[in-house]
Amino acid sequence: MIETSILSSLSKINEKYQMFRTITSDTEAGDAEFLFSAKDNLTSKDMETCSGSKILEGYRPPFDATSIARMRGAGGLLVGKTNMDEFGFGTFSTNSAFGVPRNPYDPERSCGGSSGGAACAAAVMDGHVAIGVSTGGSICCPASFCGVYGIVPTYGRVSRYGLLDYGNSLDKIGIISAKASDLGKYVNIMAGADPRDPTSCMQPDMGARRKLKSVAVPKDATEGVSEDVRMAFTDGLETLESLGVDVDTVEMPSLKYAIPAYYVIATSEASTNLARYCGMRYGHQKGDLSLKFDDYFTSFRSQYFGQEAKRRILLGTFTRMVGFRDRYYSKARMVRQSIIGEYRSVLRECDAVLTPTMPFVSPKFSDISKMTPLESYKADILTGPPNIAGMPHASVPCGYDRNGMPIGMQLVADQWDEGVLFSAAEEWEKTFESVRPEVSI
Amino acid sequence: MKIGLEIHVQLPTKSKLFCPCPTTDAPAPNTHVCPVCLGFPGARPMMNRKAIEYGILLAKMLGCTIRDTTWFARKIYFYPDNAKNFQITQYDRPLGEKGMYYLNGKKPIRITRIHIEEDPGKIKRVGDLSSLVDYNRSGVPLAEIVTEPDLSTPAEAREFLGQLIRDIRHTIDIPDDGERSIRCDCNISVGIERCEVKNVTGLKNVERALTYELVRQTKLLKAGGKVVRETRRFDEERGVTISVRKKEMEADYGYIDEPDLGIFNVKELTERLKIGESPQNMILRLSKEYGIDEKTAKQFVSTSVELAHLFEELAAATDTETARTWTSGAVSAGWKSFEARGGGDAAEVVSLIGKFKAGEITDTECNIRIRAFLTGTDVDEVRSGSADLDSIISEYLDVNPSVIEDYRKNERAANRVIGHVMKRTGGACSSAEIVDATKRLIEERL
Amino acid sequence: MDRETVEKVARSAHLKLTEEELETFSRDLSDILGYFALLDEAPDCENFGIDPIDVADVLRDDEPHMEIDPDKLLEGMDTYNNYVRGPRLL
Ligand SMILES: [Zn+2]
Repeated sequence: MIETSILSSLSKINEKYQMFRTITSDTEAGDAEFLFSAKDNLTSKDMETCSGSKILEGYRPPFDATSIARMRGAGGLLVGKTNMDEFGFGTFSTNSAFGVPRNPYDPERSCGGSSGGAACAAAVMDGHVAIGVSTGGSICCPASFCGVYGIVPTYGRVSRYGLLDYGNSLDKIGIISAKASDLGKYVNIMAGADPRDPTSCMQPDMGARRKLKSVAVPKDATEGVSEDVRMAFTDGLETLESLGVDVDTVEMPSLKYAIPAYYVIATSEASTNLARYCGMRYGHQKGDLSLKFDDYFTSFRSQYFGQEAKRRILLGTFTRMVGFRDRYYSKARMVRQSIIGEYRSVLRECDAVLTPTMPFVSPKFSDISKMTPLESYKADILTGPPNIAGMPHASVPCGYDRNGMPIGMQLVADQWDEGVLFSAAEEWEKTFESVRPEVSI
Repeated sequence: MKIGLEIHVQLPTKSKLFCPCPTTDAPAPNTHVCPVCLGFPGARPMMNRKAIEYGILLAKMLGCTIRDTTWFARKIYFYPDNAKNFQITQYDRPLGEKGMYYLNGKKPIRITRIHIEEDPGKIKRVGDLSSLVDYNRSGVPLAEIVTEPDLSTPAEAREFLGQLIRDIRHTIDIPDDGERSIRCDCNISVGIERCEVKNVTGLKNVERALTYELVRQTKLLKAGGKVVRETRRFDEERGVTISVRKKEMEADYGYIDEPDLGIFNVKELTERLKIGESPQNMILRLSKEYGIDEKTAKQFVSTSVELAHLFEELAAATDTETARTWTSGAVSAGWKSFEARGGGDAAEVVSLIGKFKAGEITDTECNIRIRAFLTGTDVDEVRSGSADLDSIISEYLDVNPSVIEDYRKNERAANRVIGHVMKRTGGACSSAEIVDATKRLIEERL
Repeated sequence: MDRETVEKVARSAHLKLTEEELETFSRDLSDILGYFALLDEAPDCENFGIDPIDVADVLRDDEPHMEIDPDKLLEGMDTYNNYVRGPRLL
């Protein structure tokens, strides 16, 4: 049986960390075998679902996302919907319309994004399992900033039915937890073909768990990475070698195109997905009906979308416009194929590609506010490549900087080869001693 | 003048294109809807196999090139009936391209492409205050057929559409639910610049809208004006087209490929699916192969493809002339009644005519028995009715021998006899029977 | 991206921007597109896959059925006589 005391303290915890957008009113866990949370972009029948956006405020979906339904079916109790950047648009969870989650190691710093609330919940609450969603780094980034484990399965492994789309060819549902063994356990529960999401219907069975024997480190993996991160990563490599893992250096020249290609595909798709939010059917609908439809739609979208959502809509609308489509949208998709090809050839020779997860530790909110959009886009430099390629990847904690802020490293395996990541994370957990944040409420 | 058409045809699937909602008539607005066709966030499309099959059949019928893989795209435009504010359609890789379709078997009309897409919902206008949307139609599968501007007159466009629809109905078995289910965008240019008249429903309206445009554009050019590239709509009540928006105001649809559906390898399906002969091709073949005139061939085929098949069987069992005479006569006369009773095997007809050819029965007897068989009536009953009918006609011809002379010059002279007999029999005999008997008896006296 | 282009793109995306937003987005997007120029030097690739994995021939049978009561779906919507209310067309 599980501790029910956590249920009664949820709102207190949330007051301090703002990791939830919605909290369950249940105070008893009943027959539940585990407690879990879901990112606020997954539909849930019993809880509001807003994807961090004002435009969907008050929206109660009529159906459960497949991932949530499967977790419930396995005995899970959904305790809340976690805070996130609006529609997943961000690296620091500072773009939510509903408050900003605080880093459990330092409340002046970010939890990372866009699944910031999920990573925060996993770091703060004992035994908690958080469902996160990654489009370009939204699971590994916050997992590394919050010192927990995070996994993103292969694209198409977990059904996206009920996921409020950001980029349909990029979105992947995964798990964040303080416990490495949760990654395999809960991905297995959520995975499997679902006729409601055709892209989930091509998957082979989950591969067998397999010991990590060799990793490849791209030559410029630590280029532009902060000194603290570089040091922790080097320590991590040494530890791996001491565990008998072969470490090789490889050239992966196409990875440098991953970020622009990722942002082009992601925003092109996002700007079409967000077209439906227009003051009709769901979310805010009380508007001036005397306006002609174009103006009516425009008024809602201008009023309720946040700045980053507008920026990405503009970017994505531009990159698929006549005259620019070939240069941006079409080219970006070619680049994606080159990157997939490059990963494939490297992963024929070794089990995983290893890099730090983020180029720096979680920044202070005061520093984040000084960053330009492009600077924050570039923070995805290491998480972008596996995401655009649909490769399964995991972030594991590998050290702390002088202020005690956690640092993570990222393992990328070949498509459908999650098994090697599950066991690698579990093996790693046996050697690496995590420093849990102090939680007082 | 150049006319090109974009024709939208609803495909007769039982469920919608991307969701299992029924496509049948709904009891009330928004009752055949689900998260997918209402565009709910998090719901995604699931492809209906049957729609792809229908699409391939039509692409074949239009002589299109069907490439091995096909996929879908998002066309983005904001409109209240467009549940996601994008429509899932095809762009870079439509199901079929570069087809050729012959109007009356002679004039080639190039087919640019055929693709599959989802229908939007329907808007009911209430004054000018707001729109009321019914999404029952949202997601119903459509085939869009785009022609090159190869049609030259409004009448030709109408004729083309009529033939096309007849062929489509035959190929994918669409019930004849009136021509209103056909929606058309018409591109027309008299000079250089073209206009598009959007969303015209029905054959007659297509011809009206095009004729209006022809006159409008010609007048405009004669007066030294210029036709502007624009989108117009057709006001059915007033019979005029009205400008909706100029070219430069056209939305940039910003097409991207639809990532939620993947691609479709249709090579095997394309090889497996066979289309029957289209009615139009059958008319041409019958006339060529049997040397009968096109009018007669068309008469057979439009009565029923099965009747045309019977003609071919008869021709094989006897000879072309016998087959033509009997098919136009007694068989045609009883065919509607035969089909109304469920149709089926008509081998009896072939056997009866065979007996007549062999001299075993007279032509009158053959006629009676065919009629009895097709109408499901007792032979004696037909015989007595027919004898009555024959005697009424003969009586009239005896009194009015001039009819025979007139008939030599113009077959329409028979109408005088027919009119008289109709009055006399007062509905006891079908008009087809009377026509057949009259012609038979006149021809006996020629 | 100049202001005029930002305005044009915004119109197409159904966004009305304030003067300040126009200014900011014009600067941000120029910055971002400048970086995207990197794509021009990336080698072309023959295929361009729609998804990162192969998704092909996922089809469903043509069998009509309904799972969620349509009334439930309309619950959160602004409706009139079962029609969904929207803005005027003309
Ligand atoms: Zn539906």
